[in-house]
Amino acid sequence: MPSHPARATADTAAHPSPLSGASERPVLEVDGIWKKFGDHDVLVDVSLSVRRGQTVCILGPSGSGKSTLLRCVNWLERPDHGHIYLSGQRIGFRQKSELPMSQAELAPIRARIGMVFQHFNLWPHLTVLGNLIEAPIFVQRRPREEVIAEAEALLEKIDLREKRDVYPARLSGGQKQRVAIARALAMRPSVLLFDEATSALDPELMGEVLVVMEELAKDGMTMVVVTHEMGFARDAADEIVFLDRGRVVEVSPPDKFFDVPKTERARQFLQRYGSSLRTGLRDVRASEARQ
Amino acid sequence: MTAYDYLSLLQGAAVTVSLSLVGIIIGVPLGLVLALARWSEVPALARAVAAYVSVLRATPLVTLALLVFFALPNVGVPIDPVPAAIVSITMNTAAFNCEIWRAALNDFPRTQLDAATAVGMTPGLAFRRIVFPQIWRISLPGLVNEMTLLIKSSPAIAVVGIVDITRAAVRIGAQTYEPLPPFLTATALYFLVVLGFVRAQRSIEVHLDRKFGFA
Repeated sequence: MPSHPARATADTAAHPSPLSGASERPVLEVDGIWKKFGDHDVLVDVSLSVRRGQTVCILGPSGSGKSTLLRCVNWLERPDHGHIYLSGQRIGFRQKSELPMSQAELAPIRARIGMVFQHFNLWPHLTVLGNLIEAPIFVQRRPREEVIAEAEALLEKIDLREKRDVYPARLSGGQKQRVAIARALAMRPSVLLFDEATSALDPELMGEVLVVMEELAKDGMTMVVVTHEMGFARDAADEIVFLDRGRVVEVSPPDKFFDVPKTERARQFLQRYGSSLRTGLRDVRASEARQ
Repeated sequence: MTAYDYLSLLQGAAVTVSLSLVGIIIGVPLGLVLALARWSEVPALARAVAAYVSVLRATPLVTLALLVFFALPNVGVPIDPVPAAIVSITMNTAAFNCEIWRAALNDFPRTQLDAATAVGMTPGLAFRRIVFPQIWRISLPGLVNEMTLLIKSSPAIAVVGIVDITRAAVRIGAQTYEPLPPFLTATALYFLVVLGFVRAQRSIEVHLDRKFGFA
């Protein structure tokens, strides 16, 4: 279990100094989250913290609570207990009164947390560009010209400029997920959450999405990635959080986690899923080089 | 049939169309409001709307019109024939429209709402920008179908003394002892009115298809 020095100062240090360097407050802190669905404990006292520029991969067997954890971070799912802080600001509860936030109060906080879903969840009635500019214009109320220029630059970056005016129905799965990533980035989020972003894709389409994700990690985006792609986790993560039956079982750097896992549960997990280590990013790179 | 008779049938058509239009203009959005009330999952509200819909669906328009026209004055709310007709038409069609909107809302993918919530949309904004632009296209054929049913059940409002197409035809038939010409004309008039509505629906769908690539 990771230690949480932030806990004591949580309610006082709402605005950490950006110049405080290593002692800078983590962008995202999850502190002792519990979540039950009916009688079933989905998350049990889960804590983790993500510093700026870090990529944290959450691994674990199916049903271990990974997706629920992500959905708790931006309050799509309401945790039963525990605290979540985004750059020091408590999510879900008002600072002084401790009363639950209304949807209108949650909205601007959610706007700072990008989320990429397993099934892309693009809006089918809007074009690719429309999907990108919708929230910056109507949620952040930024000027339209600026937003469009930035969205076009993002499309350039994910290599989909020519799909600008196409509707999502005409895109492949990999293209859809790249657009969904660009949609999240268009909000200039402080942290990006990936909820099994490649699980719904055919193996040959996975690569193009993983490459975009790895580039983001390299560019210093702060990311929390729920994935079954061990190759990606090993190559791109700064830290692995291993979740099992709703509990954080192990937190390690990737080389330690994959080579000398501390716990028996992690060893068993790696034995079962380890085969996807071999089909990691290196193969994607190789196949791209061939094209 | 004299020219005057034709004129009175046309007047009846104007009454049928205008009362139906008022019912549609109020009843379609009202149906949406009712459907949203059920969708909101506020228990009391949802149950009240469900009760309203099942009662109204079971009440013939004739009975409803009589109830509104004769019962409201009894409880101290005097009402003229035209407002009584509009109220009963609107109450009736809103119940059916509610079910059409509700079907579209129930089928609306949660995942798209998740995406809207995750980018910081409030429920109101998500409804305006993401949900509504999609459900109205899905609901359009059902809504137009309900509009044509409404037009065809509108002769019921004649019971409160309003002269619509059918009522005018009955009068002419009774005066001339030749019921065939006025009823044939009335049938043709209904056909033209309904055709107009269906044409409008088609052209909206074609326009959508051209603009968005899907309808």
